[in-house]
Amino acid sequence: MISFLSLVLALLAAPLYPGIILKVKAFFAGKKGPPLLIKYYTLLKLLQKGSVYSTSSSFVFTLGPVVSFAAAIFPLCFFPFAGSASLVSFYGDVVLLFYIMGIGRFFTVVAALDTASPFEGMGAAREVFFSTLAELAIFAILILFYRLTGSLSLNDYFHGENIITLAGVSGALIVLVIVALFMVLLTENSRVPVDDPATHLELTMIHEVMILDHSGPDLALIELGAFYKLFFYAAFIIQLIFPFTAPFSILNMLLFFILMALVYVAVGVIESIMARFKMDLVPKFILTSFALVFFAVILTMGVLQ
Amino acid sequence: METLFLSLTVLLAAGILPLLGHRLFTLMKACYVALTITGCVIGLYSLCPISQLPSQSTLVVDWLHIFQLQFSLDSLSTFFLIPVFFVCPLAVLYVFHYMNKKAEHARTGVNFFFFNLLIIAMALVVIADNMISFALSWEIMSLASFFLVLHEYEQETTRRAGYIYLLFTQLGALCIFLGMGVGYGYTQSLDFAPLSTLPEGLKLWMFCLVLVGFGSKAGVFPIHIWLPYAHPAAPSNISAIMSGVMIKMGIYGVVRFYGLLDISSPVAGQIVLSFGIVSGVLGVIYALGKQDIKKLLAYSSVENIGVILIGLGVGMIGATQGNTGMAIFGFVGGLLHVLNHSLFKSLLFLGAGTVAKQTGTRQLDQLGGLIKRMPLTGKSFLIGSVSISGLPPFNGFVSEFLIYIGAFQGLVLGGMHCVFAMLAILALALIGGLAAACFTRIVGIVFLGEPRADNSAAAKEAGWTMTFPMVILAASCLIIGVWPEPFVHYAFKGVETLLVQTTLDEVLLLEITQKMALASQVFLGLFVVLLVARKFLYRGKQVQSGPTWGCGFTQPTVRIQYTGTSYAMSIVEFFRPMVRLHTHYAGIKRIFPSQASYETHVDDIAEQTLIERIVEPLLFLLGKLRWIQHGHIQLYIGYIIITILVALLCISEGPREILRGLL
Repeated sequence: MISFLSLVLALLAAPLYPGIILKVKAFFAGKKGPPLLIKYYTLLKLLQKGSVYSTSSSFVFTLGPVVSFAAAIFPLCFFPFAGSASLVSFYGDVVLLFYIMGIGRFFTVVAALDTASPFEGMGAAREVFFSTLAELAIFAILILFYRLTGSLSLNDYFHGENIITLAGVSGALIVLVIVALFMVLLTENSRVPVDDPATHLELTMIHEVMILDHSGPDLALIELGAFYKLFFYAAFIIQLIFPFTAPFSILNMLLFFILMALVYVAVGVIESIMARFKMDLVPKFILTSFALVFFAVILTMGVLQ
Repeated sequence: METLFLSLTVLLAAGILPLLGHRLFTLMKACYVALTITGCVIGLYSLCPISQLPSQSTLVVDWLHIFQLQFSLDSLSTFFLIPVFFVCPLAVLYVFHYMNKKAEHARTGVNFFFFNLLIIAMALVVIADNMISFALSWEIMSLASFFLVLHEYEQETTRRAGYIYLLFTQLGALCIFLGMGVGYGYTQSLDFAPLSTLPEGLKLWMFCLVLVGFGSKAGVFPIHIWLPYAHPAAPSNISAIMSGVMIKMGIYGVVRFYGLLDISSPVAGQIVLSFGIVSGVLGVIYALGKQDIKKLLAYSSVENIGVILIGLGVGMIGATQGNTGMAIFGFVGGLLHVLNHSLFKSLLFLGAGTVAKQTGTRQLDQLGGLIKRMPLTGKSFLIGSVSISGLPPFNGFVSEFLIYIGAFQGLVLGGMHCVFAMLAILALALIGGLAAACFTRIVGIVFLGEPRADNSAAAKEAGWTMTFPMVILAASCLIIGVWPEPFVHYAFKGVETLLVQTTLDEVLLLEITQKMALASQVFLGLFVVLLVARKFLYRGKQVQSGPTWGCGFTQPTVRIQYTGTSYAMSIVEFFRPMVRLHTHYAGIKRIFPSQASYETHVDDIAEQTLIERIVEPLLFLLGKLRWIQHGHIQLYIGYIIITILVALLCISEGPREILRGLL
């Protein structure tokens, strides 16, 4: 029951948090900024509109938003929010989840290529390249977690006796993981310094340029999917930072949703104080995250002793 | 067993028919297709009971009075026979509209004959039960496929491809026979069974020799060089079978000999795993660099062979270390990937053949927008691409998932084994990402967007016998992805014959597969629900169409689209030390620039090294011996006599006696 409730809450609250990023950025710029609920308004507006389709595009173009939305919402069903058991879980579900995200990306990319636009092709090429490298970092994290818990499921990572947390025995390793995961979060969700969603030049964008031709409810699906994806990664980080072991699950949940804001504030701060990297620096940035986790894995192995 | 041989006989008859009746072209084709499909259906039927029963049946035939040909069918053979009898009839059906040049009737007839000979030889390789029958079937298979590659023999590139293929396949066979010789030298028997009594060091030698031999057939990096030549040169139905089914015979050889030798050292597994990682990663990077669709698919075969070997390597390490979970998941994943790859790779090759036939070009950057002109081909190709990228809910994911689980279980081992397991996981992750890049590229450039040249703008959908096999293959990719349990079970049965002495438990394997399949089904369901919801969201809304947003540029042409080259460039450059990238740029120099040109190609490092380090020094050395060939026939006869005399003197006592008697 509590798992189901937390999933519904997560699904409802996910569009709220990107508003926080905007607020933080506005604060740094000395502006008032858009209202906190701006993303809900945007979604409502988009859902009421019709769409314009490019004459170059085919049915693949319309599949893009649907598949990417399905791939974004699906992993949340497996996530143990605030330490409560996840709705569904099985041995090996993390591998499935990251591959499900892969199929979402596959269809976003082919939908972008379907428009025959040079800019969208450019964004697609960058997306597949950078996400490949990010995948390497993610699987290194899974290797580390398997060494720590002997499990391959999100539920076992964060729910039950032997949970992975900063406060645990191997907390020092988790620090590395948190940093790496935050870098992956920035990459996979196309935030600064990897990608800049707010730039006004299509040549420099990655994710935003791939969805240039989507409009109306299709665009709403993509946006909502992007919020869920960001929420998934942010929740992952929060679970690592704070062990939700308090006996009251309602309290845990409240705490969880408050702490979640922290990650978004961090994203907002990074976006305010950093510029976007040059494209050739991005692979190095992502590989740094991989190197961090890989180092942590080596520490667990004792091969070098 | 009798039913199986009945099916092979029908196939042989179907193959001989076109040789006799090729003048009645259409009738011959129809009869050939019908008979071959019948033969394959009988073949599939003959496999049915054995998949459930672990019984084994053997057939022994005397041959040339000295040798015995021995064939037997166990569950491992059965598993490898499934792609043979399932994919081949579809490729045969495809031929009906694909080879429709009536002027070439004789050549088509010959092609059909060798095609059926190839099917029969592959079936025989899989059921061969002693060295002599294995060698015989293996050679028939290699030669039949050589003639199939030479179908368009008047083109020089085809002849060259044919010779490269023949060279590699025969060198591979040499290694295999050498390995068998090692076994025979010790056991003094041509049977497979006594091989397990070999001493451990000898086993490893023999395994390495056959691994090189089978690897050259399977297309393991760096002995994969024939694949990117032979596949584009051969007609597409042939490349579909060669890449989808025939190269798996190499994998069968590795698996079978591993099982026969019963190696207890983990080195074998580590070697296989390392080959797998190298082939997997480099295969997909070269695939990204290629312009020719069929070359690209050939390199992608190298990649998938790599994935299969990673699975097998993980399984072998697990088996020798007593980690049964790792052994089961690794082997089952690897074997299932054999089946899966045979489905989606044949689908993709058939699709590529359709594209090449309907547009007249195989160059990526000449194509575009074909999904609107060839909807069935496009949709099946899209499904094949998603499957080969290993994404759920399609079949490629199931096998990769099982290999992942196997490799993760290996992480509990200590020392080097753990490092190998870790490398396997990271390599799979990298391969997965790069494969998605590679196949979004081919789908995106060939089928989506706008046509980049006139011939692809004018393309039309092919005849039904060409699209129907692709639809069937695409459907089977989805079926295995969503209901993998029976297939996993078959693969497990195969593994059971492989590792006879360890007791294996199927429960965990089936449980995890079942849950994973359920999750895939739910995902598929969610997708369908969302499709319906999207329809609902668009109800009563205004939907218009207009040109693509050009970011303010008002005069777009189709030539400003991203090309296959530009799409892959940054990835290929990233892997530069392992990939040789050549760029020729005659750029814009003056105020009134003349014609600018840009050309780039990716060279295969294995091929370059082979040419520079081995072929050229060898040619130089052998050039020094050219004086032996002078054209005087008397001296040639002299050579022969001297050779015979020396040979006679060298070998055993008997001839020496005769020689003494003569003198």
